[in-house]
Amino acid sequence: MAVKAFSSEWASAFKDEVNKSSNYKSAAKGWKWTVGLVVEAEPDKHFPESKGIVMDLFDGEARDVTVGPAGDAQKCDFVITAPYSRWKEVATKQLDATKGMLQGKLKLKGDLPTIVRYTKASQEMTECTTRVPVEWPDEK
Amino acid sequence: MHDAGPCRMARRKVTSDQHRLVEYADSEPSAFASMLGGLIEANVSSRPEKEHDFDSLVASVGMWVTDIDEGVTLDFMGGRLVVHNGLMAGRTITIRTDADTVMSLSNLKIGPLGLPVYYDAIGRGVAAKLLRGRLKIEGLLPNILTLNAVTRIFSVQ
Repeated sequence: MAVKAFSSEWASAFKDEVNKSSNYKSAAKGWKWTVGLVVEAEPDKHFPESKGIVMDLFDGEARDVTVGPAGDAQKCDFVITAPYSRWKEVATKQLDATKGMLQGKLKLKGDLPTIVRYTKASQEMTECTTRVPVEWPDEK
Repeated sequence: MHDAGPCRMARRKVTSDQHRLVEYADSEPSAFASMLGGLIEANVSSRPEKEHDFDSLVASVGMWVTDIDEGVTLDFMGGRLVVHNGLMAGRTITIRTDADTVMSLSNLKIGPLGLPVYYDAIGRGVAAKLLRGRLKIEGLLPNILTLNAVTRIFSVQ
């Protein structure tokens, strides 16, 4: 059943997908930093307020994924920021996250060597995003 | 713009007249230029074994990412790097490949004698792309030592 985009239900479903992924588990071995995703508001797309997704990831496991204010996500060790429609492109496989970062469509803040070292883990995490059925506010 | 993170100059001695390790030729560096420059700066600042290569390397290295149609030129000037948006004339080496392979190149392990490891999974993937023409390196043969030095500086492993 589809869940509302970037809602608490979405966060819970996303966490389950990450923890189901054996690829993520092996690729993210040794990862011990928090990751924040900032989803910037796009009122014309019926996404009126920015949201922050805080991911507590540790050694191949998603310990917690929560949705709250953007400011919470901005405090994480790694922060990836993009408008709502860009995240939707990532979640629907229209935009590859690696390319998006190289093009500046997804803005990354954090230690670059670490994030590059875990490229496979971040790619697998993107795959997990695409497996969550989502109800998009601009498609109602 | 990408933020290369804290402690960029953590290890090197900093004096007021010292150049930054990495500078950008363009007033608005592309995201790709910022990312590569930031990656190299963080690598050299935090990994002592990369300093010798960085300090001695003089070469102009182009990198073109085929699936995003963007590239940069990395001008290594013996202890300083200037990053240009796009490909500039007079390059020593030019690497043309897709975004995934750029990430793989930066994940190559460095083995004995400072040589990139091509026998593990990532190395084999890179070698296969080279053989299939999905990774093209212009100027490879006469500049293999330069390429190895660039790989060592670029590698996060």
